[in-house]
Amino acid sequence: MTRALAIRGLDHAYALRSVLEGIDLDLPAGRTVALVGPSGCGKTTLLHLCAGLLTVQNGTLANGFLRPAVMFQQPRLLPWKTTRDNIALGLKALGVPAGERRARAEAMARSVGLDELALGQFPNALSGGMQSRAALARALALGPDLLLMDEPFSALDIGLKAQLHRLLLDHQAEHGLAVLMITHDLMEAVRLADTILVMAADPGRIVFRAELPVPARRRSEAEVYRSTAELLRQPAVCASFGLDLPAEAGNNGNGDGAAVVPLFSPESACAASGAPSCVSSAAAPSPASAACPSGPACATDAGKAPRKKGFSC
Amino acid sequence: MTLLRAWLAGIPAYLWSGWGAVASLCLLLAAWEGASAVYGALVLPDPGTVFATLAGLVDSGAAWPELAVTARRAATGLLLAIAAGSTLGMLAGISLTASMMSRPLVTVLLGTPPIAWLVLAMLWFGASDGTPVFTVFIACFPVIFVGALQGTRTLDGQLKEMATVFRLPVRMKLFDLYLPHVVSYLFPAWITALGTSWKVVVMAELLSSADGVGAALAVSRSHLDTAATLAWIAAVVVTLLAVEYLLLEPVKRELEGWRRQEREGSAA
Repeated sequence: MTRALAIRGLDHAYALRSVLEGIDLDLPAGRTVALVGPSGCGKTTLLHLCAGLLTVQNGTLANGFLRPAVMFQQPRLLPWKTTRDNIALGLKALGVPAGERRARAEAMARSVGLDELALGQFPNALSGGMQSRAALARALALGPDLLLMDEPFSALDIGLKAQLHRLLLDHQAEHGLAVLMITHDLMEAVRLADTILVMAADPGRIVFRAELPVPARRRSEAEVYRSTAELLRQPAVCASFGLDLPAEAGNNGNGDGAAVVPLFSPESACAASGAPSCVSSAAAPSPASAACPSGPACATDAGKAPRKKGFSC
Repeated sequence: MTLLRAWLAGIPAYLWSGWGAVASLCLLLAAWEGASAVYGALVLPDPGTVFATLAGLVDSGAAWPELAVTARRAATGLLLAIAAGSTLGMLAGISLTASMMSRPLVTVLLGTPPIAWLVLAMLWFGASDGTPVFTVFIACFPVIFVGALQGTRTLDGQLKEMATVFRLPVRMKLFDLYLPHVVSYLFPAWITALGTSWKVVVMAELLSSADGVGAALAVSRSHLDTAATLAWIAAVVVTLLAVEYLLLEPVKRELEGWRRQEREGSAA
């Protein structure tokens, strides 16, 4: 079996309530897929299915990866173990001898920026950011070929988030692991992913697919903002999040949120949707205003963008 | 080994922290002395006489064999209850059905007075060691069972998911996931059970045995020897306090080091 995750026609229901319907997803080795969608659209269910925490009811899920690892939304460290032992937990489960797993845990801890003091402490003595680093280190220490992440950075401040993003991208470049991540931060998805799948709720389904051809490590901030803005102009994306469609983009689609648009690339979409807005979004300090010139609901959501830019530069 | 070293190193600071307890015990002795002055030596001998009687019992060698017999019975019953209660309680905690089914049974066990079990035990085991041991076991078992059950049931489901995802083998799930959490529920239950065992064994011996502290109490009562009665009671209480505060409390502190650091961390 090749090292890939292939999902075909996956359905899932809790009792009579259908939460996932007809999910198709491919994740080859070394790639990053981001699942974006509003709360309650079944993202976490899908991730739990991939992690083997739920049993597949209908459809196929073929996971050819050998060493998957999961990073949850909460750090989920064992409170009675020191940070060092927590990071080494997965290695201990693999039967790695004590000395070696200690060394590997410490090396991984250093690379995520945890110092000697933090390693000897119990998780409750660590800040939220350090706990997240420890959780990331615990997942990466396994040397996974597939990393499943459930909104892992959502509780972190922007600076810390940017640090961990860089860390993840570096690790990915070095070891070539595949990443399936859940986020409801579109910009985070645009920053990290090769493929973005936008989901809509009731029942959870994929309504939009965007490919980002530029490798994540080479994406400039301007490109990230521009692509995020472009995504927010897509009728399916706006409908999925319950946003009003920006007036400018309104004539492009019917906005019923059911269309799957294949192979969206920011460059081509940019060219197609009219040069002025794209040029202004790349140049303007506040690109979100270019994406949503008149839609008030859209503007409030995209209004996060300028704030972030100020911090992450 | 680390546990032993930490225990030894912790003793001085721990004893020093006991001055408050000593002060309140001294107040109790003063009240005792006062009551004895009011009611007379036959009703309530003063502490001096009682401790002199106790010292006499210890010096003459009469105290140790009785205490040893009682301790053996209490320890046997308690260890059986700890083994059975902890294991069965954790097993019941893992399964929702088992915990729902065992709850009412445990309530019945807890609600039955130890004296009722004692009467049954006397019918079943006669005057042998079996009577006090069984009574201790049956009095301690539900307390420990409930502790283990609660501990297992309250383990965070998110941590269980994490353990599944990281493919922890069964052994690791037991020692790295369940036990450290359950211990914080089990240990207080064990200490409660220890107190119960020591009280129940004396009661059982008083009514059913020819030796042990309970039997000695029965003898001193029949002689109307209040001083000796109180001396035996003091012996029982002092032994229990010594075991609990010199042995169990330091072990508990050591086992729950991560909680202490948590408190200090949140205070900082």
